Amino acid sequence: MNPADLAKAVAIMVACLGGAGCAEVAPWQRGALAKPHMALDPYPMQSTARAHIYSSREAAAGGGAGEGGGCGCY
Amino acid sequence: MAVIDHKSAALPAKTNTSLQALTAAALALPGLMLPAAQAADDEFGVQYGHYQETERNLYGVQSKFRPIEVDTVQGSGNIKITDRVKFSFNYIQDTWSGATPVATAPFELRGNRPTDGVTGATPLVTGKLFFDSQLNPLRTDGFTNLLGGVDNRLVHTMSSASPETRKQGDFKLGYEWDEAAIDVGGGISLEDDFESRFVNLGGRLDFNQKLTTLSGGLSYTASDTQARLDHDILPYVDTGAFDSQIEITGENGKIVHGHRKDWGAHFGLTQVLSTNALLDAGLGYTYGIGYMENPYKVVEVAFLQDASPGADYAYLGQVQAFLEQRPNVRHQLSGNIGYKHYLDAFDAALHFNYRYYHDDWGINAHTFEADWGQPLGHGWTVTPRIRYYSQDAADFYTPYLTTQQNYADLNRKLLPDNFSSDHRLSGYGALSGGITIDKQFAKGVNIGLGFEYYTHQGGLKLGGSGEGDYADFDYWAVNGALKVNLEALAASGDHGSHAHHQHHHGAMAPAGVMFDHMLGKGGFMVGYRYMYGSQGGDMLHGSNLVGDQAIVANGCGPNPCFVKPNSMAMHMHMLDIMYAPTDWLNLMVMPQFMDMSMTMRRLSGAPPDDEAPDGGGAHIPHHVENGHETGGISDMGVYALFEVLDAGHHHLHMGLGLSIPFGDVDIELRRNHQVDGGLIHYGMQLGSGTLDFKPSVTYTGNYDSWSWGAQLSGTKRLEKSGETGYRLGDIFQSTAWGGYNLTHWLSANVRGVYTIQGAIDGQFNQYIDQLGPMDYPMNYGGRFWDVGFGLNAMVPGGDLAGNALGVEWLQPVGTDYNGYQLDRDGTLSATWHYAF
Repeated sequence: MNPADLAKAVAIMVACLGGAGCAEVAPWQRGALAKPHMALDPYPMQSTARAHIYSSREAAAGGGAGEGGGCGCY
Repeated sequence: MAVIDHKSAALPAKTNTSLQALTAAALALPGLMLPAAQAADDEFGVQYGHYQETERNLYGVQSKFRPIEVDTVQGSGNIKITDRVKFSFNYIQDTWSGATPVATAPFELRGNRPTDGVTGATPLVTGKLFFDSQLNPLRTDGFTNLLGGVDNRLVHTMSSASPETRKQGDFKLGYEWDEAAIDVGGGISLEDDFESRFVNLGGRLDFNQKLTTLSGGLSYTASDTQARLDHDILPYVDTGAFDSQIEITGENGKIVHGHRKDWGAHFGLTQVLSTNALLDAGLGYTYGIGYMENPYKVVEVAFLQDASPGADYAYLGQVQAFLEQRPNVRHQLSGNIGYKHYLDAFDAALHFNYRYYHDDWGINAHTFEADWGQPLGHGWTVTPRIRYYSQDAADFYTPYLTTQQNYADLNRKLLPDNFSSDHRLSGYGALSGGITIDKQFAKGVNIGLGFEYYTHQGGLKLGGSGEGDYADFDYWAVNGALKVNLEALAASGDHGSHAHHQHHHGAMAPAGVMFDHMLGKGGFMVGYRYMYGSQGGDMLHGSNLVGDQAIVANGCGPNPCFVKPNSMAMHMHMLDIMYAPTDWLNLMVMPQFMDMSMTMRRLSGAPPDDEAPDGGGAHIPHHVENGHETGGISDMGVYALFEVLDAGHHHLHMGLGLSIPFGDVDIELRRNHQVDGGLIHYGMQLGSGTLDFKPSVTYTGNYDSWSWGAQLSGTKRLEKSGETGYRLGDIFQSTAWGGYNLTHWLSANVRGVYTIQGAIDGQFNQYIDQLGPMDYPMNYGGRFWDVGFGLNAMVPGGDLAGNALGVEWLQPVGTDYNGYQLDRDGTLSATWHYAF
């Protein structure tokens, strides 16, 4: 996916904001969405540990809210 | 330098974490009280992780360097200060050691030169290469005699490092409205050679009946490098491009200073698509400026001279190493989009995520991830996961360089502005897979285990043309996490019942006393113990101050001493898990993580360095300027406590336990100056190395506002020696204390302690540099008198009711060492525990 495609995908999502194209989901219909394993990241500590390793081994760690320390110079 | 930018690295995770927090908030609507695993309030967690890399391909050269490994321990907490104010903190420390590529070179340079015949390797970064007219390196016999033909193989030049530790602490303070939130945070990361400080600001907005959530954030990071260049290769590395940043030390070392700033911004969107599906997307941008080099990486440059007529090669290359050079500015952009779907038929959650990354160093990267969260009943969830990552090489990535000039008349303008052979900037792909197994216990206790296997291969790059397979490597990583949700505990209806389980409420022993109480039948306790021990100041012989001359002459047995310890620090983190199957029997498991550091100085009047045994004196400049660090998992205790007497105000119980030798006792210092570093001394190894028997007898009593107690405990080594040939001395300790309740929630205590520990029996069966008193077994153990002053608090009400905290300072009042040792400053203990 190139940046243009990505922008398009985001644009489609933004179009959803008003509700058009996205189903109305009433609060009492959100049971499945609220299940623990439906969380976007059910295991944040494990994800942090994994991301920590990827960032010491891959070049593409940055590009977001850079915050925090460590050089990873090994 | 140790690990990384865990925060910025963790960006996808971080973003997800905050997004997931939003999602959780969006979904937790009135009347729909469903459990949300994420962003729970009043939740504490600890996690241990181990990372292990495989060996690099050195084409037949047997390297005795161990591949890189990292031990990590992490603790975090989310606390609800009021209904709307949230505080979270996070502490992480990691210790890494092992072999790392310092350069890349044609195989014919033979940078990984065997020593001691076949087993060792020491990095060599200069030499001669022969090239044909197409600049292909020519095959030789290793002694500059051409054998005919081309050898285009590349290989990493490996170097090893002594263990190093990084510590990071950060926090976040947030305020929440019904449909919005803001937070501010900050933190610091410290290593010997790298420091980083950061602040951030974030916010989120829910609308469209919480079907849509927008989030955004800004961050600023300032980082300082002060990297001591490798002693071993320093004489062979051209550091000219960084002259203005280099400090020459008293021991003729070089320290590179660098400063860097990063500004980051991110924007995220989460959208509920249907009753079963969610979409999330994010955009991020980081602008970095300053010193971005890896100070420990060099690039090999072959200075080409035309061959004399008739020679069977076209160019002779004199190879010289240069510190790598990277641009001083970097713009990084990323975008991610994820989709999560709930499958009714399986009660499973399927998750896809794609991330695109682009920077102005020429790197484009794609990450594809998928996982399947499958609950299995009884609180178990299994989540298999797969990930594929691919990146292009940076514009200035090059395994090595050639240049048509003489090094003696170096013209830097003929070299590229930037060059790096760091494999992280090469083109490659990586495939990994793993699994997370999670068990949710009743009462808000959660245990998770994760495993991942990862393979980095040039051949896996998207679209091909990745780096050669010499740079391929694999790793595996495991982690285990324990989370305790106090809110869930309270909600489980068991709230406050801890008092029934704990025999001696209101009469906690000082924080430094273990095994001080038992739980009633069915009771469960989780706790954390931290201990900090410090030594410093003068050297003692027995109980007497001793000067340098006497240490030189007598402190090191048959040899002279060259150095002495200047300071030593020990940090211990212990998890305390206790369960009571019956009133009279309690079981305990206590895994621990430990890290230590020390500094040294030369002894005045010591003989010249080169008179040290086995040539180890070559390391002295390094020791006195650098200090040493170790860290990792330590021995684990398993104990059973038996009730002997429980008579109103008096209680007596006995403990029997084993300490299982999980801690390393073979940690090495790095090889340099063509001399092995050998094992680091006994006191810096992480475990005892032997199976140990640990009995104890504890008496406690209380009356009115007063409490008191006494304990005898011991450590008996059950084996003659550990794997490295020695065993620590046995320990006997007696202690007695008294406490008084100052208020209904706070008590103060005083205690006395007497400890005897024997000297080390046996000695290392592998090489050790014998440079100071700490390297000799007779300079361990002694007789110690200490007085402790402590405070204990029990949270009496509110969401955190039942949490007990303790702190104690143990002040040495008498020391009678075996042999020559560094004086003691004292010991700080801090504990937290929660019984339910």
